[in-house]
Amino acid sequence: MKKFLSILGLILTFLMIYFLQANFFMWFNIAGVKPNLFIVFILFIGLFIGNKLGFAFGLILGILLDLFIGKSIGISGMMLGIVGLIGEYLDNNFSKDSRVTLILMVMGSTAVYELGTYLFQILRWNTAIEILPFVRTVCIEVIFNVVLVIILYPLMQKAGNALERLFKNKSVMTRYF
Amino acid sequence: MYRNKKTGVIGIIITIIILILTVILSNIDVEKMSYLENALNSFVMPIQNGLTYLKNKMEGNDSFFTDISKLQEENEELKKKNSELEQSLREFEIVKAENETLKEYVGLKDKYQNYQTVPAYIINKDITNYNQMIVINVGEKDGIKPNMTVIADQGLVGHVISTTQTTAKVQTIIDTASSVSCNISTSREPIIVTGTLEKASTLKASYIPTDAVILENDKVETSGIGGIYPKGVSIGTIKEIVSTKNITDRYAYVETAVDFKKLETVLVITNNKVK
Repeated sequence: MKKFLSILGLILTFLMIYFLQANFFMWFNIAGVKPNLFIVFILFIGLFIGNKLGFAFGLILGILLDLFIGKSIGISGMMLGIVGLIGEYLDNNFSKDSRVTLILMVMGSTAVYELGTYLFQILRWNTAIEILPFVRTVCIEVIFNVVLVIILYPLMQKAGNALERLFKNKSVMTRYF
Repeated sequence: MYRNKKTGVIGIIITIIILILTVILSNIDVEKMSYLENALNSFVMPIQNGLTYLKNKMEGNDSFFTDISKLQEENEELKKKNSELEQSLREFEIVKAENETLKEYVGLKDKYQNYQTVPAYIINKDITNYNQMIVINVGEKDGIKPNMTVIADQGLVGHVISTTQTTAKVQTIIDTASSVSCNISTSREPIIVTGTLEKASTLKASYIPTDAVILENDKVETSGIGGIYPKGVSIGTIKEIVSTKNITDRYAYVETAVDFKKLETVLVITNNKVK
């Protein structure tokens, strides 16, 4: 029951992020560049829940995004699925208890996601390659995502630890640290 | 490894303030900052003038240098007059060309009235930084089908790419995957405009014929070639012409007639063929 409620909570969080992206960040942007909280959200699921749920969430929610507003179905699903897998891989190999590590993970995931999406656009839609504007956009987006992670870090840690205990049966013994 | 909780909260508050300031500063209109520039100038310029006067006096550059500076001033004035004359000649040519095409415009206005249109509201805009799609609140129920043209009061918006019963997804002309066959309204030269990542309200015009004469502020409109967009719908005006070593590669930036940031209502043309 707890697991079901947690998944329901995650779906509600996804909807909340969607409305934030579609409304708030339309005007709250840096030089016209919006952050991508979906990447942070899926990375968070991959890191703290794992069990291939990061991949599954990324894939399903990405396809939903494509259905809502995408130009072609599947690209966001595929790339967010990859971000979920990256989260699970990083969880197995690095500690996510440090703010700096988490920031580096977000930076890497954002860059991978945007590069993959842009390459797909070039191949699928035969768009012109614009390296400098693309690099500028990715850099601003990475910085924006990192700043939001710095702000949301305490909340992410708290919620993440609770989800980790629930899904991975791991207890974090903070008093020993 | 204990951390002061208060310090953490202060850090987050400072980060939020920095983020808000960054957003405000990055979106502020440069022209609106001119009062700041004026204030700084009024403070700095008198000092700068005084220092320049002192420097000139000390260097003893009297009559000879005065003559040179007079000649330079005259030269500058003549250059200015020359460019003004060139400008008025260009304007005259533009007016002449516009005059020739006015009849066509009048006919076009009538033609617009003959299109069947369905009004719609934009209910969703793209959430990513690379696509420029919009969703409108009319769909199959209202007779909307893929490839129908979407326009606004000022000009072309894009075309429908997919529909549901009650909504339709529109690919705007500022999307990087969009390319539209156009004409320059004054010279009737054909060009292709595509969306760019650089700026949302700017299109890139390429495939400009080598012998084509294009000028800044020339109007750009659809050519009707391609089968999606009807002929003569306004797209925007040429803002900047970029010359390259090879004339075949030259391109121009077109400012869209439609302000996509403020766009809220559109019209879908349901019959591209005139009645």
